[in-house]
Amino acid sequence: MTSVLAMGVLVAPAAFGVVAFGKLGSREASVQRVKRMGVVASWVGVLVAIVAAGTTSLHGLSESPTLGGNGLGVSVRLDALSTVMFLMITLLAVVIFRFSCTYLDGDERQSVFLGRLAATIAAVEVLVLSGNLAVLVGAWVATSLALHELLVFYRDRPRAVIAARKKFIAARTGDALLIAAAVLLYRQYDTGNLEKIFGGIRDTAKAGWSLNAVGVAALCLAFAALLKSAQFPTHGWLVEVMETPTPVSALLHAGVLNAGPFLALRMAFVLNDAHLASSVLIVAGGFTALFASVVLLTQPSVKVALGYSSAAHMGFMLMICGIGVFPAALLHLVAHSFYKAHAFLSSGSVIDDARADKVAIPLRLGSARRVTASLVVALGLYLVLAAAWRANITDDPVVVLIGAILVLGTTQLVAPALDSTGGRRGTGRTALLALAVTTSFFTLESGAHHVLASTVPEIGTRTGLELALFATVVAVFATVVILQIFEPARTKSRRRRALAIHLRNGLYANALYDRVVGALRLPTPRAERV
Amino acid sequence: MEPTCTAIPTTDRRAVIEGALRAVGGRIAPVWPLERFVAVNPYMGLADRSFADAAELLARVAGASATLPAVFYLAAIDEGRITADDLTDALAAQHQVAATGVTEFLELARVLGSTSGPAAPRIPTVASVATACSGNDWQRFCTDRVSAWASAYFDTGQALWASADADLPLFAAWKEEASLDRTPEVMGLAGFRSVVRSLPDDPIAAAELALRVLDVPSEALEAYLHALALRVGGWAAYTARIGFERQLNHQDDDTLVQFLAVLLAWELAMFRTLERHSQADAWHGACGLLAQSAERPEVGETLATLLVLQDAFDRAEQRRIIAQFANGRIVTAHDAKQDPRRPSAQAVFCIDVRSEVFRRHLESVADDIDTVGFAGFFGFPIDYVPIAHAEGEAQCPVLLTPTFTVIETIPDPARALEAVEDRRLSHQVRRAWKSFKMGAISCFSFVGPVGLLYLPKMFTDTYGKTRPATRAEDEGLAAWAIDAKTPSIAISLEAQVQLAEGALRGMSLTNGFASIVLIVGHGANTVNNPYNAGLDCGACGGHTGEANARVAAAILNDPAVRDGLADRGILLPHDTWFVAALHDTTTDTITMFDRSSVPPTHTQSVVQLQVQLGEASRRCRSERAPRLGVRAGSAVDAAIIRRSTDWAQVRPEWGLAGCRAFIAAPREHTRDLDLAGRAFLHSYDWRQDLEFDVLELIMTAPVVVASWINLQYYASTVENRLFGSGNKTLHNVVGKSGILEGNGGDLRVGLPWQSLHDGTMLQHEPLRLNVVIRAPRDAINNVLATHRHVRDLFDNGWIHLLAMDDGGSITHRYTGALQWSRIGPI
Repeated sequence: MTSVLAMGVLVAPAAFGVVAFGKLGSREASVQRVKRMGVVASWVGVLVAIVAAGTTSLHGLSESPTLGGNGLGVSVRLDALSTVMFLMITLLAVVIFRFSCTYLDGDERQSVFLGRLAATIAAVEVLVLSGNLAVLVGAWVATSLALHELLVFYRDRPRAVIAARKKFIAARTGDALLIAAAVLLYRQYDTGNLEKIFGGIRDTAKAGWSLNAVGVAALCLAFAALLKSAQFPTHGWLVEVMETPTPVSALLHAGVLNAGPFLALRMAFVLNDAHLASSVLIVAGGFTALFASVVLLTQPSVKVALGYSSAAHMGFMLMICGIGVFPAALLHLVAHSFYKAHAFLSSGSVIDDARADKVAIPLRLGSARRVTASLVVALGLYLVLAAAWRANITDDPVVVLIGAILVLGTTQLVAPALDSTGGRRGTGRTALLALAVTTSFFTLESGAHHVLASTVPEIGTRTGLELALFATVVAVFATVVILQIFEPARTKSRRRRALAIHLRNGLYANALYDRVVGALRLPTPRAERV
Repeated sequence: MEPTCTAIPTTDRRAVIEGALRAVGGRIAPVWPLERFVAVNPYMGLADRSFADAAELLARVAGASATLPAVFYLAAIDEGRITADDLTDALAAQHQVAATGVTEFLELARVLGSTSGPAAPRIPTVASVATACSGNDWQRFCTDRVSAWASAYFDTGQALWASADADLPLFAAWKEEASLDRTPEVMGLAGFRSVVRSLPDDPIAAAELALRVLDVPSEALEAYLHALALRVGGWAAYTARIGFERQLNHQDDDTLVQFLAVLLAWELAMFRTLERHSQADAWHGACGLLAQSAERPEVGETLATLLVLQDAFDRAEQRRIIAQFANGRIVTAHDAKQDPRRPSAQAVFCIDVRSEVFRRHLESVADDIDTVGFAGFFGFPIDYVPIAHAEGEAQCPVLLTPTFTVIETIPDPARALEAVEDRRLSHQVRRAWKSFKMGAISCFSFVGPVGLLYLPKMFTDTYGKTRPATRAEDEGLAAWAIDAKTPSIAISLEAQVQLAEGALRGMSLTNGFASIVLIVGHGANTVNNPYNAGLDCGACGGHTGEANARVAAAILNDPAVRDGLADRGILLPHDTWFVAALHDTTTDTITMFDRSSVPPTHTQSVVQLQVQLGEASRRCRSERAPRLGVRAGSAVDAAIIRRSTDWAQVRPEWGLAGCRAFIAAPREHTRDLDLAGRAFLHSYDWRQDLEFDVLELIMTAPVVVASWINLQYYASTVENRLFGSGNKTLHNVVGKSGILEGNGGDLRVGLPWQSLHDGTMLQHEPLRLNVVIRAPRDAINNVLATHRHVRDLFDNGWIHLLAMDDGGSITHRYTGALQWSRIGPI
């Protein structure tokens, strides 16, 4: 359905655009005005997003006419994916903008900060709503440039400048790849309209393993997504950008970083049958998911740990996109956004936790029998609930593997209590929690499939290689989880400490990146002799 | 000139180096972990020097400022806050600035203007020389790497997988890691690990080796080590705290010495790099300068000028304080004994400056209520063990060690057991949940099914309906347990009597008891604020005073204790009842505890008191509102309470910002004065203090603690880079115990800028504390003469001392060396 009304959703980014340019007059007046306008803009956004989501759920896809020529220009695409993302961003914007209004009170450049925040939010909103390659590329680049201004908000901080420089390099490379993909797709289908491109791919070209235009475009998209989402070895900047106020981290980790998985979702039709690109996503995403989630365990500072956590989750989503379970990726994306925004904004509360964490708890046993029992409990809950849901969990090997990842997690939840000197109450409670988690898993996964039904491709048949790659990743995951479950009960050895030291330093990938970009170079030419 | 390499035998050399390391370690003030963050004087180890000499030293070794830039004081002069007389007096009190008169001096000062920002430290380190030679910031790199390692070594629970062996001594742990960590080599320090491996295992031997290779001139050794320590001053302070606490328990500790050895090992490794680039001469040249700078340390004219301006600023404030007392009512110094009126209630508050506001308003609500000021642990130094906790925490000033343990429990034994089990269970499940949420791989299973719950949570936290994290005091306890929990005291009656006597004599409250005596501890109530403990009661070691107040009230209500007190000459009337309470300094509400045990005869009075406290709370909030940026009006109460639950609020309250006076005198001398929440008030009547024991206690404990607080605020204001913790919006909690600003750099100490400045103006202006004591000057002199460290604070210009006469006027100013000068008419 084409509708001029769809253009109306641009009111939301436009409102933030006004905020971004609204900082005029004296400092005090300007701050108050920017705050008021920003709060209004953020609630306007939520209202518009609710209307858009409602309309889409009733009428399905709608597109605005394209402002431009030759099939390129500004157009809005409202479908399940874009409206879910849009609603998510607007909700985050309410919280993050409001938080910043108080948090940066007294900073003499608060209105500048709020303006840049508004500009970034506006760019992300346009990105998720885009219906045409031209606006997709434009918003993609604009998001990154607006964010850059937030990252160097305190320009006199050398560590902020270096992190932003590293990000800038990764981002511009990603931009080039996205532009290349857009050019290839445009030349292939002679239009920038996403719906027409998707239709073209559905009807004709299957990239398969070949490096035809769609295959290369898919590869470019995959790498652009990996670069956008700070995947190994370019993750360094992400774990360093806490050199700027906390709300920026919240926005970055919840609303900007996931542009990578969003791109993979948005271009799902392009990626789905491009096996090379999918394989790249499985391998690179899977590796980063593993690497970053293990490195996270060794980090002593809360914000750096959260940075690694985000890299890990992005990797996981990209891997899931690679294997073609797009609804699961979207669910993960949205859930992660709210979780991570909250985690950053509340990062000052870790001292409350530290003060509470002095209760002596039962000791771990490290008994293989009891850990196995935990696995049985977790698996049992999964099977019982699958039966209750009448979910088909055995036909598709991909679904089996995704289920395995869930069961590994719930085992990790039950084992600390079951494999301990504590009594049955602890086991009972953790098992109840595992039950709740598993129930939620089935509910939300089926919900996500339902919501995204027509927006992304169905899980197709995977090639043997893709399945093998994914199975390998899951097997490594399982090994890590089992080692991790036994870890608290094991004696500390020098070798494991050495491994932990290398991991804490992120296997030196970031140090190497630092060396390459001259992170230590003083901003001014040679300092004078001491 | 050539560096001197003195030939001393090895064993002596070792002793010399160890001596120098310890001496420099003694100059580093400790910092406490965030969960029990208390104020500390950052100049603690330098108090035996004059303020000016310490300022010169810190400028030389660390480029530190000891004052604000001259523009600040010039503005105060233009506004008339500093008068020509203040400047004349300040000029007369020093000899470094040669100006003959105020006009000439001001010309000099105006030239300085705002140019007098922080300077680069003049004492070089190898890292700073390497930075200058290469154009690469090796200094920052060294700091980052030492900090990254220390973050892991001192981690108290952030990382689920500990990568450092916290059981190894500091130097050994560092050496193990540094011989594995590839980062320095990746960044261009070739051979770093082999340099580390070649070091002796013994930290002193390693330090000795490094100093021998670096050939640091012996006369400049201490200055060099001091400079080195302050390059990573935050972690140095963290290790100093370990030493401080061990020494309090009479144990020797060399953690800080080992830390300095780590820094020297880094210097050695940097030097090897210089050698490889044939730039070793650059360091030797710098050593020459080092020796020269150590030879003639003198206060330069710029610094001297700034110090005169600061002194004049101090004098101006002192003048106002003196005038406030002189202009007050003519004090009829009435004695409690002779006063026929029995107060309806007495309320004992902490000496904290925030109590002053509340006391003033409570007295204005009900002029038959008397208030008393005393250190907020009320003389009961306890080790407090919350329900189901494995260990207790010291709830007393950090200068003391707890003398007895108090266990939090529930009176009914069956329910107590239930609460313990519930809390253990809740924590076991909490840990399991955390290992699921943060664990490798399992975190992916967590986010999909659970992450959406954070959407409502984000909104309820935003609108203050929920807290991001439960209050630690309540975590894992059911509502009934939170209501029922109470401290249980298990010490001998004799000890209880002794503590009770000490407390009552300490607060000069030995007769004239009202029928209700309220003991009011205090604590802050903020959310999402790593510095909450810093806003709690410092006298309770960075905890709320609730437990101490409840213990005090319970002991003082015990008939057996009262019998013991009677034997010691303190007669508590049968109708006197002590009630414990907590003053929430963020919202100025007061909560009373153990209401159910109040005798029926007193319930009516307690109800009335509660109404009066409620009214005082409202008046307090109205007074504080403008300072918090809350618009006056009917909505003040709601607005201030809302601020306390706002997770984005970086200035939930002003804490002790603005503190400038400490007054030890009977309350009647201050009762009618508005001291604007800027004075510590200690009740003290010297006529009840026959041997001047209480005076000695006040001057050696509360005065010292108040000086720590005042100088922490001072240093954080004038030199936030070194002694403050920077911008709160960048704070990154490390190891669940400290603060990094951003992703790296040194551990931050002291106060964040947001706790000092409201965005428009300083809420804490740099003023050295004015200690006012009403006692005979001879008695004060006697205490000073016996306590060198207290005398140093006054003699060396760290804080000021004034004497009040029995009529309540401030008549004499202490001028050092046990001399006093009479204050002329103002």
